[in-house]
Amino acid sequence: MNNLDKLPKKNILSLFMTCGFPSLNQSKKIFENIQKNKPEIIEFGLPFSDPMADGQVIQKSNKMALDNGLTTKQSLNLIKLISKNKGKTSYVVMCYLNTILNFGIKNFVNSCKGFVDGIIIVDLPYEEETEIKFELEKNNIYLIKLISPMTNAKRSKKLLRNSNGFIYYISSTGITGTNKLNYREINKNVKTLKKITDTPILVGFGVKTKKDVLIINTKTQADGVIVGSAMIQMFFDLNNNLKKYIRSLDRYIKSLKIN
Amino acid sequence: MDRYNKPNNIGRYGEFGGMYVSETLMPLLLELNESYKKIKKDKKFQSELRDLFNNYVGRPSPLFYAANITKYLKGPKVYFKRDELNHTGAHKINNCLGQILLAKKMGKTRIIAETGAGQHGVATATVCALFGLECHIYMGAKDIIRQKPNVFRMKLLGANIIPVEIGSKSLKDAMNEALRDWIKNVRDTFYIIGSTAGPHPYPQMVRDFQSIIGKEARKQILSIEKKLPDFLIACVGGGSNAMGLFYPFLNDKKVKIIGVEAAGKGSKTNLTAATMTAGTPGILHGSYSYVLQNNDGQIKEAHSISAGLDYPGVGPEHSYLKKNKLAEYHGITDKEALKAFQLCSKLEGIIPALEPSHALAYLFKAFKNKHKNKILILNLCGRGDKDLFTAAKEIGFDTDE
Ligand SMILES: Cc1ncc(COP(=O)(O)O)c(C=O)c1O
Repeated sequence: MNNLDKLPKKNILSLFMTCGFPSLNQSKKIFENIQKNKPEIIEFGLPFSDPMADGQVIQKSNKMALDNGLTTKQSLNLIKLISKNKGKTSYVVMCYLNTILNFGIKNFVNSCKGFVDGIIIVDLPYEEETEIKFELEKNNIYLIKLISPMTNAKRSKKLLRNSNGFIYYISSTGITGTNKLNYREINKNVKTLKKITDTPILVGFGVKTKKDVLIINTKTQADGVIVGSAMIQMFFDLNNNLKKYIRSLDRYIKSLKIN
Repeated sequence: MDRYNKPNNIGRYGEFGGMYVSETLMPLLLELNESYKKIKKDKKFQSELRDLFNNYVGRPSPLFYAANITKYLKGPKVYFKRDELNHTGAHKINNCLGQILLAKKMGKTRIIAETGAGQHGVATATVCALFGLECHIYMGAKDIIRQKPNVFRMKLLGANIIPVEIGSKSLKDAMNEALRDWIKNVRDTFYIIGSTAGPHPYPQMVRDFQSIIGKEARKQILSIEKKLPDFLIACVGGGSNAMGLFYPFLNDKKVKIIGVEAAGKGSKTNLTAATMTAGTPGILHGSYSYVLQNNDGQIKEAHSISAGLDYPGVGPEHSYLKKNKLAEYHGITDKEALKAFQLCSKLEGIIPALEPSHALAYLFKAFKNKHKNKILILNLCGRGDKDLFTAAKEIGFDTDE
């Protein structure tokens, strides 16, 4: 059974956090708090030295984790540990392909089996996915598809054939954590996607405030949102004070929850 | 024997190459690939490019018989392919002209580029000035310090220079930032990549534009010596000057092809840029190729005295040539390169850039008293003006007045 098959119809909340940030021990506390709030989805970001599609906030979190010596193995163990209280929450790993290749595709998928429901590989386009997709499907893990405003309808159709879990709709061209949301464009593009697929569509990149969450959920046909950089930025805003951070994070997540 | 025909239609050189980018860039790369395939066959495009090569760059570059070095070596007859005489002082301009013509045809109005040594930045700023396009150059903060003359040149040419303060503060992170800029500004921006690196179609496109070097050299040597060379030598950073020289000879099985990487303090140390000697296959900047990385696939920082070779990756076609033994690759240390830099200056009256000084160092090291009566072409792909301060500091000469 894959938790992503049981997502609610509307107002899905997916929370992204970097594994091992700011350190392995502190990361555990942060994820425990996120899990306690029972979002529909948690996205576990695996740090990479060259995160091409990420903005400064996530880059910084990756660097802090890596400077503390974090390994892929440790990240996967952390996710497994947190998953003891997983319940109905879906677990999604978000990473760059080089991380998986160095771990070994089979080994990586095996290490995720049983507690990871989906994987987002930022720099793996449709054209290159065959081998990994095969391995994932064998183990009941979904390969989550990214669609950007640059993806036209014809290409979307091709990419979303047999899509599973959810669709990650990138709200605007750009990297994570930047950009203002353009609701009109999001609305238009999500509408097009809705005609192509029944898989839930989540909007990410630049979603920050309660207002963003409400508007995307009510004024567009999207099924939910993904919040990432905003949660990490709070840590830096609080001068890296973990205690204060966890309290604020808790309040923040509660404020975003609609379901 | 089959003729060499890499890459295939999805940008593969054997297992290497490909397009590993986010879905924001993917449609763009596919569009670029289509445009490039169409435009490169266009007669008007070709004649425009040829005209610029001849009258703006000063092509063909001479093939110079380096008699003094030949005498010193007591080895092969050494010829220099003198791309250091090009306008802007290196081979980089060949590629920039090709790409900016393509950008114009695609209707793009804003140009971005990464630069290490500043040579590609200068070449990009130059073609942007020529065509009146907005130009933004990403350059590592560390490189801005060691390549000051080129920073000033770019500014004079009207480019906006964006210092990159993250990561290694050199070429790798400049390229990350340029890619992020491109993801943000996909609609109006053309990214002129400076080497045979990055996702398909860049490695192919850059090689094609640079292959004018090898095409000319082939014709020139056949006219002078009435036969093909026995050896080709070029330095390899991302690999563009080397691919430019090598490519037109890849079907000539008797020509031995040698690429020279920057070993920094030594290819067994952590301070190296010898990607193919010290690296393993992985993904960097959208392409699968040899890369310097740890066991977890985290990319390492490279080190070289030469900013143009200070890159932990290498173009996928070189990985293919290495793996299939169509070329061999060797490392040269900072120290060896610096010595060759001085020796070439004294013997031939040509001050080379630190990048081709690596190729020269390998020549001095591996061909002394060897391979007599053979013919060798070395790609002298850049001149040393930009490196005078770096070299003076290393040699211990005080350049302050
Ligand atoms: C003179 C010169 N040679 C070589 C290089 C390395 O690049 P490539 O390996 O693409 O030729 C550079 C890069 O800046 C350069 O300026």
